[in-house]
Amino acid sequence: MNQFAIDWYLIALLIFTGLYCMLASRSLVRQLVGLEIVSKGAMLCVISAGAYSNNIVFAQAILITMIVIEVVVVATGLALLVKNFRVNGSADVWQLNGMKG
Amino acid sequence: MNYYHTLLLCATVALAVWAVMARGLLLSAVMLALVSVAVSLAFFSYGAPWAAVFELSVCAGLITVLFIGAVSLIRREESAKPENRARFHALPLVLAIFAIASWFALPPFFAELSSWIRPGTGGGQIGLALWDLRRPDLLGQVLMLAAGVFVIKSVLPGRTQK
Repeated sequence: MNQFAIDWYLIALLIFTGLYCMLASRSLVRQLVGLEIVSKGAMLCVISAGAYSNNIVFAQAILITMIVIEVVVVATGLALLVKNFRVNGSADVWQLNGMKG
Repeated sequence: MNYYHTLLLCATVALAVWAVMARGLLLSAVMLALVSVAVSLAFFSYGAPWAAVFELSVCAGLITVLFIGAVSLIRREESAKPENRARFHALPLVLAIFAIASWFALPPFFAELSSWIRPGTGGGQIGLALWDLRRPDLLGQVLMLAAGVFVIKSVLPGRTQK
């Protein structure tokens, strides 16, 4: 078994942890924490594949784009959280229905 | 076998489990920052310093500040109505079951996947790759940032005086 397989196996565990967090919690903050963990796993996949295929420069260029997208998604999610808290007094995902219209 | 990579990735998984299982949201945000630090060290060890610096400054810095700001707004409400902790306490057990079950399937599959790798030419310098070859990405980043600012502005309108 090579290093690539071991690395990706551990990354799969990381992604599973993030997905479990998103499935188990109803809090918007924990949903975003889970999303962050999953996106860290995706980034590690990209860099690892780039390193093993001798394309680390392209992997870094793509990763910078991924980081920017991640920041925008998290900032938008946290803005939604604050708005939901102001309207419904709760950070519950299921309360987002109250923000329709 | 590079044990440093393996150790860093194990630390990342352990910190991620801690971030998920943490009782307080503030501790969860801090643990997430430590996950980012561990991922950044992994990037350094893969030979990707630019990605590591971005990860360290943006994810471990900016996103943590955003998280802590948002958590401090809702912390009192969250402590008044705590979530059911049983599902979070089950995470180590569920993760261990997944790790054991997937040990027989995933590493052989990834080893097979690694044999399909076509070695590249190295790609040259990061500046050349970023500014010349990946220019549409930069346009996409600017559009994403503009869209994010627009969404935040529309979700959180300024207070008007009555």
